Amino acid sequence: MRTHRLSLRNAGIWINDRFPLRDFWRHHMTHYFAPRNFNFWYYFGSFSLLVLVNQIVTGIWLAMDYTPTAGEAFSSIQHIMRDVHYGWLLRLMHSTGASAFFVVIYLHMYRGLIYGSYKSPRELLWLIGMLLYVTLLLEAFTGYVLPWGQMSYWGAEVITSFASAIPYVGKFLVVWLRGDYSISGVTLHRFFSLHVIAVPLVILVLVFLHLVALHFVGSNNPDGIDINKAKKDKDSMPVGTIPFQPYYVLKDMVGIVVFLAIFFYIVFYMPKMAGIFLEAENFVPANAMQTPDHIAPVWYMTPFYAILRAIPNKMMGLSAMAAAIALMFVLPWLDRSKVRSIRYKGVWSKVAVSVFVVSFIGLGYVGIQPVSPVRSVMAQIFTVGYFAFFLLMPIYTAREKTKPLPGHLTP
Amino acid sequence: MKKWLVILFILWIPLPALADLPAIELEAAPIKRGDVESIKRGAKVFAGTCMACHTLKYLRYDKLARRAGVTYEKMPINVKWPQGSVPPDLSLEADARGVDWIYTYLHSFYLDPSRPTGFNNLLVPNTMMPDMVMSLQGPQALSSDYRLSRTLNHEWRWYDLLVLQQQGRMSPQEFDATIADLVNFLDYAAEPYYMESVHIGARVLAYLLVLFILMYLLKREYWKDVKKK
Amino acid sequence: MTTKDEVDKERRCFLRRATTTVGGIGLAVGAVPFVSYWLPSADTEAEGQPIEVDISKLKPTEQLTVMWRGKPIWIIRRTQAMLDSLPRLNSLLRDPLSEVDQQPSYAQNIDRAIKPEFFVAVGVCTHLGCIPTYRPDVGSISPDWLGGFYCPCHGSLYDLAGRVFKGVPAPKNLVIPPYMYLTDALIRIGEDKEGSEVIES
Repeated sequence: MRTHRLSLRNAGIWINDRFPLRDFWRHHMTHYFAPRNFNFWYYFGSFSLLVLVNQIVTGIWLAMDYTPTAGEAFSSIQHIMRDVHYGWLLRLMHSTGASAFFVVIYLHMYRGLIYGSYKSPRELLWLIGMLLYVTLLLEAFTGYVLPWGQMSYWGAEVITSFASAIPYVGKFLVVWLRGDYSISGVTLHRFFSLHVIAVPLVILVLVFLHLVALHFVGSNNPDGIDINKAKKDKDSMPVGTIPFQPYYVLKDMVGIVVFLAIFFYIVFYMPKMAGIFLEAENFVPANAMQTPDHIAPVWYMTPFYAILRAIPNKMMGLSAMAAAIALMFVLPWLDRSKVRSIRYKGVWSKVAVSVFVVSFIGLGYVGIQPVSPVRSVMAQIFTVGYFAFFLLMPIYTAREKTKPLPGHLTP
Repeated sequence: MKKWLVILFILWIPLPALADLPAIELEAAPIKRGDVESIKRGAKVFAGTCMACHTLKYLRYDKLARRAGVTYEKMPINVKWPQGSVPPDLSLEADARGVDWIYTYLHSFYLDPSRPTGFNNLLVPNTMMPDMVMSLQGPQALSSDYRLSRTLNHEWRWYDLLVLQQQGRMSPQEFDATIADLVNFLDYAAEPYYMESVHIGARVLAYLLVLFILMYLLKREYWKDVKKK
Repeated sequence: MTTKDEVDKERRCFLRRATTTVGGIGLAVGAVPFVSYWLPSADTEAEGQPIEVDISKLKPTEQLTVMWRGKPIWIIRRTQAMLDSLPRLNSLLRDPLSEVDQQPSYAQNIDRAIKPEFFVAVGVCTHLGCIPTYRPDVGSISPDWLGGFYCPCHGSLYDLAGRVFKGVPAPKNLVIPPYMYLTDALIRIGEDKEGSEVIES
């Protein structure tokens, strides 16, 4: 018989009789048993949640003062930077957050790559993550158009014209995407809707699905070995695991404080990051009659842009760029290794991962720079390296000699 | 022989319209960002020299600018300029081009009779902008012999290529200081929040250091449980 | 004394509390930019600055309306006859002596103005915010109407000093804004000798 006295405890009981709040907390926090050997690479999942919250909150506030029309967009951002109290701070948190999001996501994906977190039974987790990545690229792209600077305009002009490569419907598709015959205020306004409402909703749904998929199968670990859920230790949790709450919540919070220090150092002292986070050309209002000397997407898209530029044929270049992303999706089926983690894979996998990392970073670097003969050759070499990592994977992962797996988790 | 002498003679004459000038390296603007006195001096220079043609429309509500005489009401906001020679608004010029570029630009005007303004500029060939700093710096001309004394991959500077014909109202040092102030003001104009940003940033980072220490101690305390297992 | 095996609960409790406190301070301070962001921006403040109005061309009984901070401000040049009518109405009014705080101290008199000849008021009905009509003609609203304002939305009535009648929906007298005379011909609305900062709607 419940007492009807008004208290926090009774409020909790009232809620839990009607809503699985306590069960949720148990199942996903205090009794979600995670491997005890999570290392540095395991911070980036929670970091990306933090950055997502930052983008949403600062984004909501910015949308209060931003005007999504061709005539007013650029000025409205200056209004935010100069006339609105702390507008400059929220805008710089948002722009830094966009780049921070990709730093964090790339490191998060790298963790998945090296520890085989995409292998069975986590293929769907990886696919949802890949959908999140592509959606995030779309969110960043639509967002970058909104300031309506020279780079916003011309970057949008270039990227939407990719669609024209599609046979038969391509040219129509470009006009359909833009809502006009070239990029204009019409495009800006619909990109605003996508950026502020549509794509964030998709991201939120995908993040939810991503966490559900993760918790359903449980976390992987740096050794890539399975946790035996049946074998319990004296605290009656699976051997080698610890409850997520409080241990990883606390550990992640320490990591978050360090992340915030780096993040805010950039926000307050170097938000333009030498023209990489906020490009100089974008401080000039969009001018449909004058193309900038040098159009490039923001740094986080440059690896794919470099692949596109490396191939002199328009159709082939676009296909290569699409294939570069598509290959990431099918990674779980390319990897034929008997083991998950790079720690126990053979030397070929270690070489391949190194080649991939060097190629990816190299492509990114080359993509930011203006075109030059030397850089074109480098782009082509790095493109080969990038594709070799994926396309040869079924061969080298199947045939290489792997190391014996440990019997228990190692740090 | 005569043919070669003629050619050599032609090459000797400084003909700015025909000469292919080397690209110049930018001079680092000797400014101290956030130096309020310098910025105020620069604002007065802007109001006196630049605001006849250039607007700073995004500084309409900026207190520092208004107090120094750079007011929206005095800017040439609705002037109809002839096509192709609209003086750009300079609110964000320091972000778009960089302070070093502007500093170098204002040092790089030189006499050029072939131009309608009578002047040209090393950084913007055939600029429509008149040499507004001539009275301060004095007129400069292209040096006739800059090619002779340099090695092949020399980093050209504006002062390698230009020679002061006659000193203006200011000595070169005074001129440099004045242009530095002006550039500092334009830097402020592009990012008026800079000083506040650095001020808040220091405090935020100090706070995060304190929080880090506490958070780390708390984490380590609880993780003693894990270490024991 | 705790042994190595036992959990040091006191240390944990202290650290938890200390971290929560410091973290809480951080969150509170971190909220300041987000809350401040909602304050009127520099351009909005500029729009809301006091305005100057030239009253030299105003004829007797004429009404001039200017906008300030999004509201109509009336300036009416009252005749002696209009001013004489005011004391006669005291018994019909809710707040004849303007005791409720709807006006600055210099307007807390029968005429509700600095100079009786010029009536300055915010033309917004204190009932639900409509703009009342100016009805100076004697006998126009009712046989014993001596002149004033009539709000068409719900029938509220005010006299020529903006004082609200009894028996109508409006509860208070019309608001008198802060104002001052710069010269006999020029008044400044939104600022008086006590200062101008008014961050209220």
